[in-house]
Amino acid sequence: MSVLAKPNSKVVLLGNEAIARGALEAGVGVVAAYPGTPSSEVPITFSHIAKKTGTYFEYSSNEKVAFETAAGAAWSGVRSLTAMKHFGLNVAADSVGPVAYLGVKAGMVVVVADDPNGWSSAQSEQDTRYYARMFKMPELEPSNPQEALDFTKQAFKLSEEFHIPVFLRTTTKVSHSIGTVKVGRIKKPIRKGKFVKDLAHYYNIRPHLQEMHREIDAKLAGIARKYGGKFTKEGKGTGKVGIITSGVSYEYVRESLKTLGLKPPVLKLGMTHPMPRKEIEEFIKGKRAVLVVEELEPIIENYVTQAAKGTNPKLAIHGKDLLPSYGEYTMALVLPAIGKLFKKKTPDFKAHSRKEAKAIAGLPPRKPVFCPGCPHRSTFYAVKQVFGKDTIWAGDIGCYVLGIFEPFEMQDFIVSMGASLGISHGISRTSNQEVVAFVGDSTFFHAGMPGLANLKFNNGKSPFIVVLDNRITAMTGHQPHPGSGFTGMGTPVEEVSIEKIAKAMGANVLVANSFSQKDLVEKVKELKGKDGLRVLISRGECRLLARRQAREKGIEFPTFEIDQDKCKKCGICTNEFACPAIVEIRHKRGEEPKYWINPDNCWGCSVCSQVCPYGAIHVAVKK
Amino acid sequence: MKFSAFFIGVGGEGVLTSAALVAKAAQKEGHFVRGVQLHGLAQRGGSIPTEVRWGDVSSPGIMQGDADLVMAFEPLEAARAVHYASKEKTSFVIDDHEYMPVYANLLDVPYPPMPEIVRRVKPFAKRIMVFNTTKLAKKEFGTPVLGDTMMLGAAVGAKLLPLRPKSFREVIREDAPRMVSKNVKAFDEGVKLGKRKLTSGL
Repeated sequence: MSVLAKPNSKVVLLGNEAIARGALEAGVGVVAAYPGTPSSEVPITFSHIAKKTGTYFEYSSNEKVAFETAAGAAWSGVRSLTAMKHFGLNVAADSVGPVAYLGVKAGMVVVVADDPNGWSSAQSEQDTRYYARMFKMPELEPSNPQEALDFTKQAFKLSEEFHIPVFLRTTTKVSHSIGTVKVGRIKKPIRKGKFVKDLAHYYNIRPHLQEMHREIDAKLAGIARKYGGKFTKEGKGTGKVGIITSGVSYEYVRESLKTLGLKPPVLKLGMTHPMPRKEIEEFIKGKRAVLVVEELEPIIENYVTQAAKGTNPKLAIHGKDLLPSYGEYTMALVLPAIGKLFKKKTPDFKAHSRKEAKAIAGLPPRKPVFCPGCPHRSTFYAVKQVFGKDTIWAGDIGCYVLGIFEPFEMQDFIVSMGASLGISHGISRTSNQEVVAFVGDSTFFHAGMPGLANLKFNNGKSPFIVVLDNRITAMTGHQPHPGSGFTGMGTPVEEVSIEKIAKAMGANVLVANSFSQKDLVEKVKELKGKDGLRVLISRGECRLLARRQAREKGIEFPTFEIDQDKCKKCGICTNEFACPAIVEIRHKRGEEPKYWINPDNCWGCSVCSQVCPYGAIHVAVKK
Repeated sequence: MKFSAFFIGVGGEGVLTSAALVAKAAQKEGHFVRGVQLHGLAQRGGSIPTEVRWGDVSSPGIMQGDADLVMAFEPLEAARAVHYASKEKTSFVIDDHEYMPVYANLLDVPYPPMPEIVRRVKPFAKRIMVFNTTKLAKKEFGTPVLGDTMMLGAAVGAKLLPLRPKSFREVIREDAPRMVSKNVKAFDEGVKLGKRKLTSGL
């Protein structure tokens, strides 16, 4: 594996792999995380290598628990890291603030990956840099995989020196970008430590609380003094118009300047909290104008505006007037903004876009779909048969968000992990409409349990709850959860039972086989007729994973085929069940279609043969 | 010098693996490499774009209209890559193996035949080469997966992917998840295909 490459070698690493390598070079002892893309490959890397490197790694049940695990390790003197996506920080937040105040003994790094453009997240484009300010934590922002490695290493040092946890903030195009990285030496991890009781220090009740607040402000001032310059890079350019940037935006600025043949002064910030005030003030002194290039919120821009009041009140500050505060930046956005500032001609990207629109008009879209053989497709299909399409479908976070698309359209809203239960409770309390709440197995352990307890506690008309139990956290790449039966390091453990938890919370519970329409429909009907809290667990292994594991053992799943004599061309298998393995072949509108199962894509779940009303689908005869 | 290659195909087709091989081959030849690999939602049967760049580059992503090469592992996805392509500089290498999106049925938008795809791509292409590598791989090796490796070979053989065959053979040996010797063989078959196409001028 490249992530374990020999010292001083140059290898291509994903940004997230480079973070893992940086942590290894810092001798990280404990890594804990709940998977969340675009941060997922940090823990994935550790799950592959932890045994080899002697690191302790775990998938925790949610980001808050993962953060706390890392904090406990750091308090015991063991260097620790946790990684999460931006929304994960919302979950962990309750503990992040207090731990920042209390500080740490060994270095602790909190990797948070933002996702402008929402490549791997719906919901919002939240900017983690506000959290760094709210929790008064230092924040480093690498621009590329090499810096991802270097900054992670330095983050441990900074954290230990100032006894404060440190954010390493990335965005999708840092975490999921690849790049040539020169690696250093991996340090043998220290995994054992000792928690030293020190109530005078851990006493975070007033009046000591105010003392701690004063201390953390002093720490930040010290960090700005000592490290402000170290993480700030100033180019050799000249002129009265400069550029201030950070993160991946720096890469776009660099390439734009090369493309346009410009060499203005550029200030690149590697630490965006605390801000390097001295360096910024020196940079803007005597300038006529600056352009701030930063994705999402105008945090640096606002800071520069404030700094300029004292240093250079006449400075023209550009940023969000030339570039958007939403979405993700690209060369096609940054190049014209710089071109405009320096009066240089840039390609007509808008004309290109118009030409593109014409070229792709009327092509069938390829939205993400449930994989062939996905247990969720089967469950959604059966639940819809029983409840009808007018039911309110409460959505949640997992592969099943794909149920938002046609033909299912069974995720009426998607809010956050576990929110299907809380929101559907609110709807059930106020409306007579029937509500079905979908929640995944991993999501159930992550944030679903409090919602379920609340439904029992505030006893009333309850939504119908469907737990989509595919035995794994599938969407982020098949990470185990408390119900999976093995840990992040692959150690077998006793499964935590969803049905026992639901029963203990007073629910009527039935478990159905996701791959049997008959079983699903019968049990949904039976449970639907009951009063009180109703939980249907639809259990069926993620087919993508099951198939992969079977193939590793040399086992091939059977494939199915359509008997053309029996097929009445009703289209249920493609238009209502929508398995990507089943193809309606037709190159012209109005042409008589032919239905065909592509054996390369069929993963043998058999459910299409159950939904075909004419019995036209059966196991393919091996030729 | 800089070179930008855009890879596009359907989730599960092995687009990521192919792009990773190219990145490693470029690294092997001592180039500075950058690129983008998207994960997450996009993995489930949607279109998968991946970018690999090397030389004097900083941005991980390719600028609109600035790709030197588009490797389309699926014809329909080739049409969607026009964003990164332009008449002046972009070569297209397309596998003619169709992967029908379920939305063609659902939304009653028929899948365009190959000549139509070529017609749509043409205003954005300096050169278009269509191969049937998936079909060939299925016939010769019994698995469609090796079609991707074969197509990489074809692009190298047709001199559209400026890296050495030897570098690919080495990274495949070091890195292929499985079927190492078959992968090398598929790559070499591809190189021959590409060379043939180049000399025949088609």
